[in-house]
Order: sequence, then structure tokens, then C-alpha cells
Amino acid sequence: MRRLRYIFILTLSALIATAQEDIFDLLDEETESTQYTYAAFKGTKLLNGQTNETPGKGVLQYIISHRFGSFTDEYLYNFFGLDNAHIRMQLDYGFTDRLNVGIGRSSVLKTSDAFVKYRALRQKSGANAFPFSITLYSAFNYRGARYTDGIDHYMSDRLSYHNQAVFARKFNENLSLILAPSIVHWNLVPGPEDPNDTYHLFIGGRYKLNNRIALTSEYAFSSNHSYGSGATEERFHNPLSVGVDIETGGHVFQFHLSNTRAMSDPLWMAQNPYSAANGSLFLGFNISRVFTVKQ
Amino acid sequence: MKNIILTALLFSSTFVSAQQYLTREARLDFDAGSPLEDIEAFTESGSAVYDANTGKIGVQVLMTSFQFKRALMQEHFNENYVESEKYPKASFKGTYNEGSVAGGLTIHGITKEITVPARLDQEEGNYVLVTSFDITLADYEVKIPSAVANKISKTASIQVQATLKNTSR
Repeated sequence: MRRLRYIFILTLSALIATAQEDIFDLLDEETESTQYTYAAFKGTKLLNGQTNETPGKGVLQYIISHRFGSFTDEYLYNFFGLDNAHIRMQLDYGFTDRLNVGIGRSSVLKTSDAFVKYRALRQKSGANAFPFSITLYSAFNYRGARYTDGIDHYMSDRLSYHNQAVFARKFNENLSLILAPSIVHWNLVPGPEDPNDTYHLFIGGRYKLNNRIALTSEYAFSSNHSYGSGATEERFHNPLSVGVDIETGGHVFQFHLSNTRAMSDPLWMAQNPYSAANGSLFLGFNISRVFTVKQ
Repeated sequence: MKNIILTALLFSSTFVSAQQYLTREARLDFDAGSPLEDIEAFTESGSAVYDANTGKIGVQVLMTSFQFKRALMQEHFNENYVESEKYPKASFKGTYNEGSVAGGLTIHGITKEITVPARLDQEEGNYVLVTSFDITLADYEVKIPSAVANKISKTASIQVQATLKNTSR
């Protein structure tokens, strides 16, 4: 009995001692808060495709993109294609941390485009964890280039639409992946056998080499490629791009090599006439600059 | 006799815990700006503990809880400078002694012993901690690329304000 009491007292005093020693443990006993995963990607665009990211609230973003001439087209004479540059400019604004609206203009088919991007769900950890982000993206594209078929076209013939749900997950500090199903609609298609609606699955990812440099790649599957009348080769080819992101403060530089030359949605994804298998590869870059307009 | 010892021990155990003070709403501000760029952030979700018996004092904060005016700056802070994914928390663990605190400050995974002036005043049964001090970013191996070296201060000033409440209440 006596011994038992001693043990009891000893245990009790030990408990008190630990209670005193581990006051710093109280710091860690925090009720877990929800934390949004940030910076799954450096840019709002991966290469041609969209990431789940949007600029923050009150941020104006300007992106200038170039795609150079093909490697198959006298590339030394054309200085690696640099003499045949196509361009796209984009200006977009973050109305909230989730809502992003922008316009663009590209020299490929003299297209103008506009888009709305909305971060519907964000990946988060801690309490109320959610494993991935969903960003909705909707763009339409107006072809400005004159038709050469001699037909008097309606204005609506020039429009095409691209709707996409971007599923993105930042697996760890370095690796982020995107899976984005897309629906594309063309008011006017090139041939009678071409479908007005095409479905695509965009996949992309980035791997960070260090804090400022990341490798990126993207590809898009297409559900229904057209062959055109009597043609044996596919008229359009799936876009494949590999690149590198370099981030320096307010700029993101994205350099890449790809088999697409158009930069506006949905041209690069759904009506890419170039095949890497035929050697049609293009150097290109996007440079983004952000300005905080409203704090 | 033994009963008295037991009672005394039990009493002392409650007495000990009654001297612990805690908050989860400590405010921390930091400023690493330069004439070229305002770099300021704050959080109001820091944790702070104080044991009035031993003088032990601790402060801890989640790096991602710091709010910046600019979203991109906040992203760069976490992504490029303090590397919040690798080192999610900053903490101070030390003791308070007559107008100053001394102990280990851990930022970016690096712990340095510091002694800085601090006020710890008793107000209505709570302890109010106020301190302000500068740290040298290089001490904590926070790398600043040369391209932006003139925009970011080599030192950051840190302010802490916390009202610690008795844990037994």
C-alpha cells in the first residue's frame, strides 16, 4: 500500500514536470486551419493551354507571345524561323481572386478572342482539405482574316468557342499536373465531313528544377479528327509542346518548342495543321508581366 | 501526512497550469521594404505561450498566414524566399527576463540565438507581449537574387503584439 502511494505520487509529479517542460507544445496544438495550395503553376497559361491559376484581385496582366517559323522551312535562311514570327497579345484583369477576364489578338488568321476564367474550387489542405483545383475557362474566337473561297460569309461563320474545365493538382512543391476536358464548337468547319463540335482532353504538367525555373509540357487528345474528303492523312494534329518557365519577380518567361503555331483558343488545340512527325516544329515564347492596379 | 502531500501536489499541479498563458491570435508584422518597393505583411493568427512560473515564452507563426497587399508578392514570399512548403513555420522559444527575451529564433529552418528587448505587462489577468526587432535575412539563409537586391532590404523588422490569456480560464 505504501509502495503504491509512492508510485502514485511519483507518477503525478512526473506528470507535473512534463506539463511544465512542454509549454512550447502548446504552440503546436493549434486547431488545424484550412490552407489553400498556392502557386501550382507560375503562369496563368502553361504553354498554350490554361493552368488553374488566375492573377490576384486588382492585377492587370499583359502576355506577349511569339511563335516562329517552322524548322522545315529554310530555317537557317530564316534565322531558325525567327524571321517568320506570329504574335499574340493578351490583356487580362483579375476582378476578384477567382474571376479573370481578358482579351487577345493574334496574327494567325487575324483572330481576336476574349475569355472568362473562374476558379470554382481550390485545392486546400488542413481542415476541409480538397485534393485538387477546378478552374472553368470559356473563350470565344473571332476570325478576322478574309475568306478566299469567294463566298460572302456571315459574321457568325467567323466565330468559334472553347469551353474547358481545368482540373489541377499540386502534388508537391515541384510537381503539378493538369487534366482538362474541353468542348470546342465551330460555327463553320473547313469541310463537309468535319464535325462542328470536337472534344479534347488537355494534359499538362510542370516540374520545378529550382525556385525560379520549371520544365513544362502539354498535349491535347482529340476525339474526332477529320480527314477531309478523299484525304488519307489527318487534317489536324494533336498539339504537343515542351518548354521551360523562368520566373523573375513580376515576369514569367516561357520558352518552348511545339508543333502548333496558333496561339488563340481553340485554333491551337483543335485545328492544328502541323505535325511534329513531318518535322514541323516551332520555337516560341510567352512573356507575362503583371501590374498591381488596385491594392 | 501522506494525504497532505498528495493534496499539496494536486494543488500545485493546478497552480502550475494556472500560470500558463496562451493566444492563437498574436499579431505579427514584418517589413523588408526598401525605398524602391514596399514589402510589408502581417498576420493575426500567430500563437504565443508564456509560463509565468518559469518565464518560458514561445511564439509561433505559419508562414503562409502572412497577408501581403499584393498576391504575387505573397506567392513569391512563400515560394521563393522563405520556402514555406519546406519550412512552414517560424518560431521563437526562449525565456522572458526583465524587459527582454532570449532564446532561439527559427526562420527558414535556421535557428539563431537572439536577445531582444520586449515588454510583457500584466493587464486584467492577461499578459500583453510587445516586441520589435530586426533580423538579418542572410543569417537565416533567405536568398535574394541580385536582380532584386536593391528592392529588398537586407534586414527585416519584425513586430509582435499578443494578448495572452490564462489557459485555465
